[in-house]
Amino acid sequence: MASETPSATPATRRERWLGWFDGPLLTLCLGSLAVIVGGGLVQVSYGAYSMTIAEAWRAVFNPNVVFSLRAWDAFLWGSEMPEMSTATLIVWNIRLPRVFVAMLVGMNLAVSGAIFQAVTRNELASPFILGVSSGAGLMILLTLVVFTGLSAFLPLAAALGGAVAFLIVYAIAWKNGTSPVRLVLAGVIVGTIFQSFQTALFFFADDLGVVQSAIAWTTGSLTGTDWEQVRMALPWTVVAMGLALVGSRQLNVLLLGERTANALGMSVEKVRFALSGVAVLAAAASIAVAGIVGFVGLIVPHMVRNIVGSDYKQLIVGCLFAGPALMVGADVGARLGMSVLAGTDTQIPVGIVTGLVGGPYFLYLMRKQDKMGEI
Amino acid sequence: MPKTGQTSEAADERSAAESTTADGTPTETTDPSELVGEDLAIGYPTTDESVVECERVLLLAGEVTALVGPNGSGKSTLLKTMADQHQPDDGRVLLDGERIQSFGSKELARQMGLLSQENESPGTITVEDLVYHGRYPHRGFFESVTDVDQAAVDRAIDLAGVDHLRDSEMSNLSGGQKQLAWIAMVLAQETDVLLLDEPTTFLDLHHQLRVLSVVRTLNREAGVTVGIVLHDIGQAARFADNLIAMRDGSLYDWGPPTEVVTEQLLADVFRVDASVDSESPTGPHIAPHSAIEE
Repeated sequence: MASETPSATPATRRERWLGWFDGPLLTLCLGSLAVIVGGGLVQVSYGAYSMTIAEAWRAVFNPNVVFSLRAWDAFLWGSEMPEMSTATLIVWNIRLPRVFVAMLVGMNLAVSGAIFQAVTRNELASPFILGVSSGAGLMILLTLVVFTGLSAFLPLAAALGGAVAFLIVYAIAWKNGTSPVRLVLAGVIVGTIFQSFQTALFFFADDLGVVQSAIAWTTGSLTGTDWEQVRMALPWTVVAMGLALVGSRQLNVLLLGERTANALGMSVEKVRFALSGVAVLAAAASIAVAGIVGFVGLIVPHMVRNIVGSDYKQLIVGCLFAGPALMVGADVGARLGMSVLAGTDTQIPVGIVTGLVGGPYFLYLMRKQDKMGEI
Repeated sequence: MPKTGQTSEAADERSAAESTTADGTPTETTDPSELVGEDLAIGYPTTDESVVECERVLLLAGEVTALVGPNGSGKSTLLKTMADQHQPDDGRVLLDGERIQSFGSKELARQMGLLSQENESPGTITVEDLVYHGRYPHRGFFESVTDVDQAAVDRAIDLAGVDHLRDSEMSNLSGGQKQLAWIAMVLAQETDVLLLDEPTTFLDLHHQLRVLSVVRTLNREAGVTVGIVLHDIGQAARFADNLIAMRDGSLYDWGPPTEVVTEQLLADVFRVDASVDSESPTGPHIAPHSAIEE
């Protein structure tokens, strides 16, 4: 509290509603913003259509687009695109939306993971701990292999599959109420069963294209995303992030343990289910546009917690910035990495990059910290 | 420790001043609440038979009642049931004549506080933030901190004597300091009834006495009805207005310490051979000699 003015009594300190927005959090947010902007500028500068960096950046900051209501109308509501130069069109219609989708996916996964870590009181929880990923994965395979006529609804099916799997897990774990351990166990079991079905379905895929598409969806990919994906994810993201911020105090009380939360008059079961629902909504929104991107939801809350501490108000805000930063950064590697390494134009699923970056970082954290597991 | 003496004195003066000036009426005049358990049969899902059976348990309004008994005699189970944290198989618990289940969960938490035996908090939370959580039942879903909340938190921190630890993180505190912080949290709840499950176990003597004196002050000045599980019968005898002695899940005896604490009780309930000096001005003094063999 060294930054407080000496005259600030505890009373006035509390009244300032942004009083908790302190140094470490601010640094984290600014650092993340820098990564997002840097990664975004790299993404718009390179690609199949060659243009100079100056051209690309001029297109990004082209006032005729940035301040054009008609352009934003086209982006966000899908109306007809106004006339613009090829460079501007490529930057604004192909390269930038991918960055925006990465940001949305990143914040959804990070916040979803943060919520699940509080609900299960376990630092190793991720958005997919309660069966969401396996449910979504099974639906993806079913849609691609069995119900091929429904492939237009693949995003919706994947999101629904995740949500249904979560409900099944909750129903199995429920016996006069539930507990973090029961939830995690039920999640693991249901996940294993769904995973088996999913793997079995790969055998019935007779086409390499279908298999590749299935892999892209189940490891998470941003290839080919554009404004349609932004339009699909944005409303749900806004709702889920808003609810997560509002629910941060409940999360903090939940962290004091079930007994204490109960004694303080919280209806623990209701709150836990509602918050899990918010987390599943966020996870489902990201699955619908990018498939199942692993590791982001596990690592980002962890990273942020290391910097700002375990207060969920700060943690959620930190995740809103750090999640997009990791995702945008990883997508630079996914989209451009192969052309740097192998000289080919192949793009790899972003989920592979987050795994490659996140895994070692997580191991590093594990070696550095004495205590892992419970928050 | 002169410093703590000063802070608790200051707290006394402060709450004394407040109790007469805050809204014109002294806080003592608010009617103390009474908590009664009737025909209780309490079990766990894993056991067929009841663990605790009590015809009548009474926490007298405005008094400190201590639950004592050997390990496994059902004191904590009984306390949890009285706090509506555990559903009895049979019987009912009444707060001022009304069944506790008829209260909403937040409504009940505004009337009755419970501090469990073991509490874990995230290590990086500060004492002040922890104490603010005690205001949970008083705040709506969207409500932010009000002046009333601030005043309650300041009062609780003062009373528990943890003002100097306000901005410390919980992981940096000793066991005794942590316990005082948790006590401050339930004090911030501002309830008429306070139930404490072995709040002094595992603490050094200094902190044991600190905790008990905070509870005593709260009881004397705000008229809070206290139910407290104590491990140490000697401490309970000196501290409480009434004792509830439990053995094998049933009530063995109930009443003021001078009547309840006898050599017979120590032999029957605690299975120790001891002599009791019930004439002592500070309450019955117990001198244990040896464990009674089965």
